[in-house]
Amino acid sequence: MEKNKSFLRNEGVQALLSSILCIIIGLIIGYIVLLFINPQGASGAILAIIKNWANSSRSTLQLKNLGSTLVNTAPLLLCSLSVLFAYKVGLFNIGASGQYTAGIIVALYGALALHLPWIVCMVLSIIAGAIVGAISGALKAYQNVSEVISGIMLNWILLYAANMILSSVKEPSDIYTLKMAKNAPQAILPTLGLNSIFNNHQYVGIAIPIALIAAILVWIILDKTKLGYELKATGLNKNGAKYAGMKENQNIILTMAIAGGLAGLAASCLYLTGITEWSCATASVPGMGFNGIAAAFLGGLNPLGSILSSYFIQHISMGGSFVDLSIYPSQVADLISSIIIYLCGFVAFFKLMMNQFLDKKDAKGGK
Amino acid sequence: MATFLLLAEYTLIFASVLMLVALGGCYSEHSGVINIGLEGIMVMGALGGALVMNMFPGLSAPLMILAVMAGSMLFGVIYSTLLGFSAIHLKADQTIIGTAMNMLGVALATIIVKTINMQANASNPTSTLQYIAQKKLFLVKLGSFEFNWFMLISLVILAIAYVVMYKTRFGLRLQACGEFPQAAASVGIDVYKMRWSGVLISGLLGGLGGIVYIMAGVSEWKFENGVAGFGFLAMAVMIFGQYRPLRIGVSALLFGFFRALGNVYTGFGFLVALNIPSTLYNMLPYIVCLIVLTFTSKNSRAPKADGIPYEKGQR
Amino acid sequence: MAEQYAIEMLNITKRFPGIIANDNITLQLKKGEIHALLGENGAGKSTLMSVLFGMYQAEEGIIKKDGKEVKIKDPNDANELGIGMVHQHFKLIECFSVLDNIILGVEPCKNGFLQKKEAREKVQALSNKYGLSVDPDAIIEDITVGMQQRTEILKMLYRDNEILIFDEPTAVLTPQEITELMKIMKNLAAEGKSILFISHKLAEIMEVADRCTVLRKGKYIGTVNTADTTMEQLSSMMVGRDVSFHVAKQEAKVGDTVLSVKNMSVASKTKGKQAVNNVSFDVKAGEIVCIAGIDGNGQTELVYGLSGLEPLSAGTINYKGKDITSTSIRERSVMGISHIPEDRHKHGLILDYPLEFNMILQNYFEPRFLKNGLFLNRPAIRKFSDRLIEENDVRSGQGSITITRAMSGGNQQKAIIAREIDKNPDLLIAVQPTRGVDIGAIETIHKQLVALRDAGKAVLLVSLELDEVMDVPDRILVMYEGEIVGELDPKKTTQEELGLYMAGAKRDGGNK
Repeated sequence: MEKNKSFLRNEGVQALLSSILCIIIGLIIGYIVLLFINPQGASGAILAIIKNWANSSRSTLQLKNLGSTLVNTAPLLLCSLSVLFAYKVGLFNIGASGQYTAGIIVALYGALALHLPWIVCMVLSIIAGAIVGAISGALKAYQNVSEVISGIMLNWILLYAANMILSSVKEPSDIYTLKMAKNAPQAILPTLGLNSIFNNHQYVGIAIPIALIAAILVWIILDKTKLGYELKATGLNKNGAKYAGMKENQNIILTMAIAGGLAGLAASCLYLTGITEWSCATASVPGMGFNGIAAAFLGGLNPLGSILSSYFIQHISMGGSFVDLSIYPSQVADLISSIIIYLCGFVAFFKLMMNQFLDKKDAKGGK
Repeated sequence: MATFLLLAEYTLIFASVLMLVALGGCYSEHSGVINIGLEGIMVMGALGGALVMNMFPGLSAPLMILAVMAGSMLFGVIYSTLLGFSAIHLKADQTIIGTAMNMLGVALATIIVKTINMQANASNPTSTLQYIAQKKLFLVKLGSFEFNWFMLISLVILAIAYVVMYKTRFGLRLQACGEFPQAAASVGIDVYKMRWSGVLISGLLGGLGGIVYIMAGVSEWKFENGVAGFGFLAMAVMIFGQYRPLRIGVSALLFGFFRALGNVYTGFGFLVALNIPSTLYNMLPYIVCLIVLTFTSKNSRAPKADGIPYEKGQR
Repeated sequence: MAEQYAIEMLNITKRFPGIIANDNITLQLKKGEIHALLGENGAGKSTLMSVLFGMYQAEEGIIKKDGKEVKIKDPNDANELGIGMVHQHFKLIECFSVLDNIILGVEPCKNGFLQKKEAREKVQALSNKYGLSVDPDAIIEDITVGMQQRTEILKMLYRDNEILIFDEPTAVLTPQEITELMKIMKNLAAEGKSILFISHKLAEIMEVADRCTVLRKGKYIGTVNTADTTMEQLSSMMVGRDVSFHVAKQEAKVGDTVLSVKNMSVASKTKGKQAVNNVSFDVKAGEIVCIAGIDGNGQTELVYGLSGLEPLSAGTINYKGKDITSTSIRERSVMGISHIPEDRHKHGLILDYPLEFNMILQNYFEPRFLKNGLFLNRPAIRKFSDRLIEENDVRSGQGSITITRAMSGGNQQKAIIAREIDKNPDLLIAVQPTRGVDIGAIETIHKQLVALRDAGKAVLLVSLELDEVMDVPDRILVMYEGEIVGELDPKKTTQEELGLYMAGAKRDGGNK
């Protein structure tokens, strides 16, 4: 039997279709929730979420808002790469948030207390994230501790550590850390002139190309190199990797260190722009790492797909701030992204259905 | 002396939470489904119980206790169907589903509470519910020890779990499905049904654990904050307890103790004298958890088919 | 008057996407007989039994019980009709007791609470009646395979099953245990039970069965009385041509010692003792040495120790004059040791990798497969993989890019063997290389082993199959409870003598 080489059978196409399906269902459920809360404004609210920066009437403001979305997309992309990299090696990096928080601690402390230049702060944040990741990796490799549970525990430990350590560099009368622009201009990321494109958005800069380059590097490492071959083999079959003489435990630790490094880098890519400060009274783990999970799966676990999915997730979460907050809670955007992750669990099922449908069509179509 | 009683009180109530949720996880995992979503189930259960207190503030003590339990269990069970459906029928990746449920739980609970608050009072867009008066109905003063009915209820549920697991047909069949579902199916056991039972019971107990948690030590709850990793601590309690009810009870006491220290350490002169920042006490349960798991995960007694989707006809 | 049949499966057809697993098959089991079902791997035996058990529904054909048509939709229906089965891979819960396993699914209960006392009495009575000795309170993972099998038989008897199916029951037993089982089966038949005995071992069928039905490639070939037939006839019915049972080989030209093991011990992972206990032996160039023994007597751990997958707890390994006791797996492989692993899914393959990536699993790091030392050289990998596929007749849907998981077990095994032999090893450790492979391929694999030996290489074969143990090697070492209990010359020994060593009844010396 000649198998019909349909365009729809292509893996990439199927991944894209599955992701679009997840998005559509997620948005529909979000819309239904909005209808429950208040039917009158629901259509406007869901449109506001989808439009995000396009809500503004003036093009200059649109550019500014698009710029802000991109500034926040860069760290999200890096977090999703962190999750993705680990997942390809069979590890679920739910600890990306903790690694990210470790990066925040080091980047902000280095910038505000030690007055280090941005590049040093950035390297330190990568190292900090890598160390936290490696702890999870080592516990998994040598003591069989689930990386999910150790990751969650480290998330909370680092959250409290951040509150404790960074309170030494906060505004005396406030809970937030000192403003970067005033207190650590040497540590602000260079803009490379990119800011001028976005109507002189002061926070747009080198972080965006760094994140894109990281995505391409991750893709090359996983797909084209000996290291990627080894790491993926370890992830797919740890015993098989050991049999083939690979150092399977070291590979697990290395993977988690790289994943942690990416999450740590994400932290400096956001906090060293100066766009936001850390609140020393933060009571829950930063959502960036969890959104990274959403972006990684929505992107079909492909580094290049992550670029699109990270932008999309950031787009709707920023869009959440454009809904009428006197009627709707901004968490509607979180709700939509968590529903999308939930649906991403079904991607294998979607693909199966798609293939069964194609098989049936082929069978009907005859020879 | 009073601080010791206070420490005991907090230890017991936090141990109750951990025990309930860990037992919930225990049912689910013995049936063969890993429940990473316990955290989200706790949030939804907490919401269910808090809504009951919010809507029926005038109930008498016994009725209030029963109604709050029913509300939290109902919400937990309904929410756990998200896991059951996807893990049992669609063979979805249980880790992703659980993670999504944890995020969704917080988002959904926040939206619901905010909407209720805003409808009651347009200038109150918070995600906080208060239950100061209602909470008192759950407490009984025994001298200077504040007894919480949930402590007794948890103990009873622990005893029931022990009997169910080891003395009943249901327990035997449940465990068979988590160890070797094909073998269970070959003797005519409906694996899907047993796995659904495991997941729904974990929703029931996880939900109950959620309401106990948000009533421990406080009289209002901000739902945006979720339950601070307690669902995962409960999983650690379950692993440390080697998936056996009685051991889970003991390890819940241990973890409960370290969690309680954070609330009451200021009462102990020698601890205050050590001059350790309070955030370190907040970190303590998580650190202890990491250390304990480091030394106990190697010989994990997890059910053999835990987390592996079961497919009919596959041998 | 028509014959009395306990079960009839008439004109059964079952299709799966791409293949017809059962094509118009008829099987009639008389009351009180032992009926063998013979066929190679993939002949359709398992599918037919799954249909009888309601795990699959046949597209065509009917099933009759005592002459009346019945519908079997799930194992419960089969159970109600009194059909029971001992599966080849036991369906036992390892952490449960024998008693719990027997009653699972039909537990005696009062209000949902287990009543184990009456169950225990019934089990005790059955075990006395049929001579099936078991300890009801023992945990399955602690007891021998033979005892586990008796537990499975008791499971059927406890349910008062009248029709008993044994799926390849002898594969895991010693010759003595096999004799014991044959006796039990005859007992059961004498008590009026009807027995269906699935096997591909002709001698056993000739010994125990009254009649035999043969399947080949999903088709019904015929049913014969064993009294009126010969092993040769059965074999050609099964395979479709005449096969030689004997591996042709010349006298071994033994050279220098390649592998020398001294006082080797390996700790057990599950139990607190030595899985391999103070073992010493040599393997020389130009000979095939076979480690024989019942599954679970330390062979697995012995190989883990030799390949470096597990550390030794004592002793030394010497390879071509060098001490490799603590050398890494990778170094041992580079030094010329190849390893065909026991479990191809656990160790031998990365199942979700394309075939070409599995072909380079042992040498992906060599410069010929890399560009600049960092990047994979895809064209070189493809060329290498295509060559191995071609030379070894490895069949897969899309050649080098086939996802390995999608290939048949036999072809997966061929790929592993191709990879390991292409490394041109000085020592090949082959663990059950013919497991799950059909007869034609078994012949080829045996020839490959002999060719390697004739080329002056050392081969260490680990096998559970008695025929293989008797036919292929130049020397046999028998392992029992982690120790080498005897060294035998396959030309001078008999299966019976081998069996005594394997069962631990005899040790040391041998006929060497």
